[in-house]
Amino acid sequence: MKVYVIDNGGQWTHREWRTLRYLDVDAEIVANTTPLEKLNDADALVLSGGAPRIGLEERLGNTDEYLQHAPCPILGICAGHQYMARFFGGECEEAKVPEYGKVEIEVVERDVLFVNVPEKMIVWESHNDEVIRMPPDFVLLASSENCTVQAMRHKRRPLFGVQFHPEVEHTRFGKEIFMNFLQEAR
Amino acid sequence: MFDAASFVEKAVDDVKKQVKGKAVIAVSGGVDSTVAAKIGSMALGENLVAVYVDTGLMRKGESEFVNRLYGGMPLRFILVDAKEEFLDALRGVVDPEEKRKIIGEKFIRLFERVAREENASYLIQGTIAPDWIESGGELRDTIKSHHNVGGLPTDMALTVVEPLRHIYKDEVREVARYLKLAVAERQPFPGPGLAVRILEEIDEEKVDIVRRACAVVEEEIDAAWKSGMIEKPWQYFAVLLPVRSVGVRGDVRAYGYTIAIRSVDSVDAMTAVYSKLPHELLEKMATRITNEIREVNRVVYDISDKPPATIEWE
Repeated sequence: MKVYVIDNGGQWTHREWRTLRYLDVDAEIVANTTPLEKLNDADALVLSGGAPRIGLEERLGNTDEYLQHAPCPILGICAGHQYMARFFGGECEEAKVPEYGKVEIEVVERDVLFVNVPEKMIVWESHNDEVIRMPPDFVLLASSENCTVQAMRHKRRPLFGVQFHPEVEHTRFGKEIFMNFLQEAR
Repeated sequence: MFDAASFVEKAVDDVKKQVKGKAVIAVSGGVDSTVAAKIGSMALGENLVAVYVDTGLMRKGESEFVNRLYGGMPLRFILVDAKEEFLDALRGVVDPEEKRKIIGEKFIRLFERVAREENASYLIQGTIAPDWIESGGELRDTIKSHHNVGGLPTDMALTVVEPLRHIYKDEVREVARYLKLAVAERQPFPGPGLAVRILEEIDEEKVDIVRRACAVVEEEIDAAWKSGMIEKPWQYFAVLLPVRSVGVRGDVRAYGYTIAIRSVDSVDAMTAVYSKLPHELLEKMATRITNEIREVNRVVYDISDKPPATIEWE
């Protein structure tokens, strides 16, 4: 399986690559300016996190093209998640209570992304901005005390967004969440 | 999963392909540079020159340790004493990024000098993934300039070769175990050394204080680990804070420095949690530090995770 990690400059972009490699995926990190036709062998895309406000940029490289035309599943993480929400008509802004480090989230909709994980779990966060209104075509999957939209998905397409970081070691069920996402790509 | 045997095979092959003639390797006695040196010597043999710089900012007993470690490897080993040079360059410097950049540049100039004498045009480094990730560049924000990446001058004359660039510490340790290197389980030590464990300006006195405090923390935590009281933390050390407070010693007012003890658990240094050490152990370290180091009369324990903190303080 081939998965491209679209690099938005996050501290943990390379961790996403590593987590995928450990799941025996042929993973490759590419710049977010890579044209979609160069990614036509992709079985899935992961949109990485990025420095503060990256998810609020008017345009994030070629991300619009991926979100509109890529035929494969896409997982947006942190800034990638925020940009996904905005692209489909949602709204993001600076979080009133930003989250860094250990946070508990609660699954509110047991979608494919959250099979084989507990209802409440410890995840690792590092964000200054957040999604404050989901796009109309999305459903809410998980929330934390200070951030409602911790996870969401598109109602019809395999497009997922998570505010937390499933790729880091201290997110307890991160590997399982990646495996669930990859199921969509098979 | 990660396979150390095939990693080594490919890394040795890559170094052979990249390096024409001689190379110098920057070694510190830590796991990363020792693994890189071993891979380098497997690829280049006598064409590899290992250079260890005593910056005066090393752990207690480090230079002797490194001398023994490299004495047994089939490569050329050179020890450069640059204690005064480093301390002079750092005098009056307060900003942590400036410290890291000065140290990075000093290292490179020394390596260039050795490389010229040795007629080598390549520099092998034990850079691992978090080093270049945290050093930033292009899209990525600079968290801290690791001396072997963000501290490199732009006009350097050597071609850099980094066989460990895409792996993390836990994977480097696997490679070290596979290669049967004695340093496999050593705790990480920052490239800029004790300079980043002294907040604000550094001088000989402060280096001496923090070195002794670090030695106490290492001794006590190692002993607690060996006796089965605790699991071995990922990294544990002391930081000298630029804060003085009032104390009392033998019925006399004291006005001394504050030491922060830091101990964290991690797998790859990209996230970390503070170690839940027993109070008896914390108390023992505090008592020893304040009794053995006259200049210190207060000890605090750092209970922050990464993020939002980082492991080292600068």
